[in-house]
Amino acid sequence: MTVIKGYCHINKEDCWVNGKPVLAKTDDPEYSWLRQIYNFVGLSYPKFHKMDQLAQAGVLALALLKHEGDLPMDYSEEGVDLVLANRHASAGSDLRFQASYADHAAPSPALFVYTLPNIVLGEIAIQQKWYGDHIFVVLPAFDPDFFIQYAQRHIQQGCQAVIGGWLEVTDTETDVFLFLAEAEESTGKGGSLPLAAINELYRQPMPSISKL
Amino acid sequence: MDQIKQELKKQIIEQLNLEDVAVEDIADDTLLFASDGLALDSIDALELIVLLEKFYGIQVVNPEEGKTAFKSVDTMAAYIQQKTAQ
Amino acid sequence: MVPAAKISITGLGIVSAIGCGVEENRRALVEGQSGIGTTYSETLPEGLLVGAVKQSDQELLQRLRLPNGYYSRTSLLGMVAAREAWDGQSSHPSLRTGFIGATSVGGMDQTEQFYKQYLQGRKVDFKSLITHDSGYTMEVIAQDLGLTGYVNTISTACSSSANAIMLGARLLQQGRLDRVLVGGVDPLSMFTIQGFRSLMIYDEAWCKPFDDARVGLNLGEGAAFMVLENEKSIEITGRLPICRLTGWANAADAYHQTASSPDGKGATLAIGQALQKAGLFPEEVSYINVHGTGTKNNDLSESIAMQNIFGDKLPPFSSTKAYTGHTLAAAAAIEGVYSVLALRDGMLLPNLNFSTPLAETGLSPIVELQTGQDLTSVLSNSFGFGGNNSSLVFSSNGY
Repeated sequence: MTVIKGYCHINKEDCWVNGKPVLAKTDDPEYSWLRQIYNFVGLSYPKFHKMDQLAQAGVLALALLKHEGDLPMDYSEEGVDLVLANRHASAGSDLRFQASYADHAAPSPALFVYTLPNIVLGEIAIQQKWYGDHIFVVLPAFDPDFFIQYAQRHIQQGCQAVIGGWLEVTDTETDVFLFLAEAEESTGKGGSLPLAAINELYRQPMPSISKL
Repeated sequence: MDQIKQELKKQIIEQLNLEDVAVEDIADDTLLFASDGLALDSIDALELIVLLEKFYGIQVVNPEEGKTAFKSVDTMAAYIQQKTAQ
Repeated sequence: MVPAAKISITGLGIVSAIGCGVEENRRALVEGQSGIGTTYSETLPEGLLVGAVKQSDQELLQRLRLPNGYYSRTSLLGMVAAREAWDGQSSHPSLRTGFIGATSVGGMDQTEQFYKQYLQGRKVDFKSLITHDSGYTMEVIAQDLGLTGYVNTISTACSSSANAIMLGARLLQQGRLDRVLVGGVDPLSMFTIQGFRSLMIYDEAWCKPFDDARVGLNLGEGAAFMVLENEKSIEITGRLPICRLTGWANAADAYHQTASSPDGKGATLAIGQALQKAGLFPEEVSYINVHGTGTKNNDLSESIAMQNIFGDKLPPFSSTKAYTGHTLAAAAAIEGVYSVLALRDGMLLPNLNFSTPLAETGLSPIVELQTGQDLTSVLSNSFGFGGNNSSLVFSSNGY
């Protein structure tokens, strides 16, 4: 059996970990919402500032899950498989890169790098030094069966953990959901929710924290 | 020359999106690519090439040439002077 | 453990700069005929060397006889290759059939035309933007073949279609599907050309994979698909296996957003794990179709990874990118088809434009076509930005 040890959400104004509110956006003129989360989780990672929003969101969701979800994630180098999905791939960065070559004919290499949705997987792998299997798929909507099958298959085949999620970050939308799955028998920290509950976890009600 | 260097520092910070770095943090001889310097990487080097073209009209065709030119703000400023004097 | 289900490849389809269809591609490979040349269209920079598919959008539309609708070049190329591979098969009530496609830019070609017209203040059709979506690109192809079950789109840069093939194989082995059409497609676009130029790894001359004097890649376009079936499916469809897919693996390089690590760690892991999956010792590999883009970084890193696995007993290898250009998300599927052809026809494909081995490793690829070879297993590598490294192993039917 494969179980979910922890999960988190980032939406336009709040962060939730394991169904509990942990951070609400403030009207700080100095720091963007993602930067506020960066400060909150206490990251000190200069590369973060050069990433696009999709990669930033992925790195932050992982940090939230790790620290607020109290999950040590001390796996072997090749023990973690990553599977992320969304609907619009890297559309936000695509637009910015297109503008860089269309408007002033100076295509920006730093923007081009992020015009692929799987770069967020690379950034997580680099930060964590994880050498496992990783894949990014584009789906019309969050598909619980896809994640359930994927996590089951990879855990059955012997990987220690699967970290998966939905990562839709555009200029108008922030819908980030990340989960950590392990075999039920694993002795690691964290909860033990059935994998089949993933759809409910993804869709859990998240009233605005500032109004709670 | 000092003015070029000041301008360059501003442009580097902007072009490379170095959020936490201020102009005062970059000395003229700070090693841009050293880990105890600005810790820039190969993509940043390419952005510096874009910067030279955008602000100074200098085309770097051979990335190898950039390696020596991009050591520090000092070397970049010298490179710009040399190229624009040609 | 239950013995792993055998996965047979029973259909191939391809369109690339060297031809439309498997036979045209095979002939060009044998004749050493590269498809890379100056550009075909007004939308791409003049004089730039690219591996363009020779048919225009209009010609592809006519060939495919499609109903009215919105089609990107990506979908059109994909349909040409997918139809050839699928070969008009029908649905069957007891066969669970899937479709997994890969693309990195989706309908970018349409978006670029739209953008240009829009900025010029010309009348534009906003509905055409629907083709931009990577997922839409694949759904159009799946619909064209009447595949309505499991449909998925993978986007992991230049290893995309290797991962599509791999996911298909896993779904078959896990018993989730009985047969699956897998592959990938990418069109040429200003977007990727400008991008690779900005990274200063676009060769303005012909690319020279694995040559010491290599300076970069040429981009290409195309599509390739293959049909994977389990034994139950073959009994029902009666199709003949061309060969088997026996190994696959993906590993992160965890080094840099775009560059490969100097020690080739991710590539070494992918190759090693794919061979392990296939149950092969390194010396049992007959030929390697390498990723070999022609960039300084890839070819050196890949050389080191191959030395890590094979030591001084490196099998014959070659890159076919000097034929087709680097076709990004389609590359692994196109080279998968070439690997299957090499295996089927007993041939080692030449690496064009090579003259001097890398100073660091001294490795030399195959430069002349060799026929009449007894090949049993072929390894195909595909490494993508994001440190996404995948390797596939194709083996003859006896395996």
